Amino acid sequence: MPPVITLNAIDYLIIGAYISVMILVGYSLKKYMKTGEDFFLSGRSLPGWITGLAFLSANLGALEVIGMVANSAKYGIATVHFYWVGAIPAMVFLGIFMMPFYYGSRVRTVPEYLKLRYNEATRGLNAISFAIMTVLMSGISLYAMALLFKIMLGWPLTQSILFAAVVVLLYVFWGGLSSSIYNEVIQFFLIWLGLLPIVFLGLKEVGGFQGFVAKLQEPLLHSVKYLGTSNNPLGVDWFGVVMGLGFVLSFGYWTTDFLVVQRALASKNINSARMTPIIASFPKMLVPIIVVIPGLVALLVLPEFSQAALPTADYNSALILLMKHYLPNGLLGLAITALLASFMSGMAGNVTAFNCIWTYDIYGTYIKKGKPDAHYLRMGKYATVFGIALSVGTAYIVQSFPNLMDYMQLIFSFFNAPLFATFLLGMFWKGATAWGGFWGLLVGILTAAGHYILYRAGVLTYHSDMAANFYQAIWAWSADFVVTIAVSLFTVKRNPKELAGLVFGLTAKPTAEARWYARPAVWGILAIIVAVILNVIFW
Amino acid sequence: MNDKIEAGEQKTGMSQGHALDLKLPIGWLLSGYGALLTVYGLVTKKEMYAISLGINLNLIWGVLMLAIGGGFLLTAFLKRNKKPD
Repeated sequence: MPPVITLNAIDYLIIGAYISVMILVGYSLKKYMKTGEDFFLSGRSLPGWITGLAFLSANLGALEVIGMVANSAKYGIATVHFYWVGAIPAMVFLGIFMMPFYYGSRVRTVPEYLKLRYNEATRGLNAISFAIMTVLMSGISLYAMALLFKIMLGWPLTQSILFAAVVVLLYVFWGGLSSSIYNEVIQFFLIWLGLLPIVFLGLKEVGGFQGFVAKLQEPLLHSVKYLGTSNNPLGVDWFGVVMGLGFVLSFGYWTTDFLVVQRALASKNINSARMTPIIASFPKMLVPIIVVIPGLVALLVLPEFSQAALPTADYNSALILLMKHYLPNGLLGLAITALLASFMSGMAGNVTAFNCIWTYDIYGTYIKKGKPDAHYLRMGKYATVFGIALSVGTAYIVQSFPNLMDYMQLIFSFFNAPLFATFLLGMFWKGATAWGGFWGLLVGILTAAGHYILYRAGVLTYHSDMAANFYQAIWAWSADFVVTIAVSLFTVKRNPKELAGLVFGLTAKPTAEARWYARPAVWGILAIIVAVILNVIFW
Repeated sequence: MNDKIEAGEQKTGMSQGHALDLKLPIGWLLSGYGALLTVYGLVTKKEMYAISLGINLNLIWGVLMLAIGGGFLLTAFLKRNKKPD
């Protein structure tokens, strides 16, 4: 099969310039990596706008973009739920309510918080599952990148995987989390600049939103109107969307996934840390511009997605085919660079989260405790190397799931969905005990896995795989919530003094608040209001 | 509580301050891309832009990126000159 897209010298020049800049940035950060905190948490020195954009970009991987364009072609405007319902409330909640405990307690990782709030076993369970999940995700993104570049440009799989792995290895090895964050911020600009030309040209060709209204089926054009029953393009009813996606999956991901929380922990002070997810929430609301519009345009302009071809259409190719359809060489190189950048930064994000958790929560806790800082800094660098090696291995295992986005949701819901119940009770109920936390989390994970097995075996049936994922998350969360409370009632309570700084009600309120226009609460409320207005407009 | 811990911390490495101004690499990369696309847009023939609906988007986008990249570089240099050191 010949490659879909043909590049010329200018495109390669643009790709090459990006890779050179990334390696240079990594190299110039090398001299600042003197302590473990420099390497793992950027020395807690970054301003809010950088951590905020990195917070967003860490999640805006190429898989996310391609998957969401695919979802938009498949489900229409309802895809906005992944943003306005499935992200904004959780991001604002993290910034306003949870960040004071994360940043204020000076923990270095999410599992470390669990250790302080609950016990060693809870930390271990979370740290080990997270480390495994992170390597899996990293492998997924590597494989997907190589596959995409093979179909798109004809680059051989193995070489793409190894090349990307080496570039990411170089800059993370040198610059640690800072490299990763800087790359994410650069990617943020590239992805907008790379994909907006498709949005403009697409809207021009189909005749703007009027064109969508005139030519597309009605259910594709509404976000909320058809959610009364699960008889809509998503195959999920309102309860599944609001509770499964909007509450459990979204809060589980945005508030407890170390990949994103780590960015906020790299902030220079508590106000910046709290502003990090809130700053991120504003561009997050606009991401549908570069994913939903192209998805809908694809349905109208690409022969591959005409009504006759639809049942067999490969939605994941929508974005690539649009690039071929609209972009001349030059802009084409820019768009490909944007995808490459988001693949690499996605992988770098996973690797930096992995090396931090591995070094602090697994190696530094179970293997070699109490070594000097320099020892752990060195370990972090080794972890970068073998983390990437494991990802390369994983890249070859992840080929059996067709819809990449659903697969990601599946993994999140095993581990992240119950975790949010553990954090919610941990941060806001002082009665949650150490073993309550552990058993709640374990039962939650097992419930998710059990639900998945029953669904696959056909015992449970839903309208769509997505509905199954959403409900699985709801069950896992509820199991964790109920078991944590039940076990807590029969086990020994922690001394409230030990929980100061970790739990709401036992933590002193910050005395000096920022001026009103710099306060997280003000911006957080504004974000929620804008998200509600957007939902009403696209009702 | 936090202030106390912060004060007791060693100030080394990244914590010495904002080590590498991120506006510089962003500015250089974007303005470099902008210049490249502008020039490329000027020297390429009209036929190439049939797929982009007849619009020479390389030129337009190049100028736009030059402006954005230039903006980043400008703020970075202004900030640097303002500092006494």
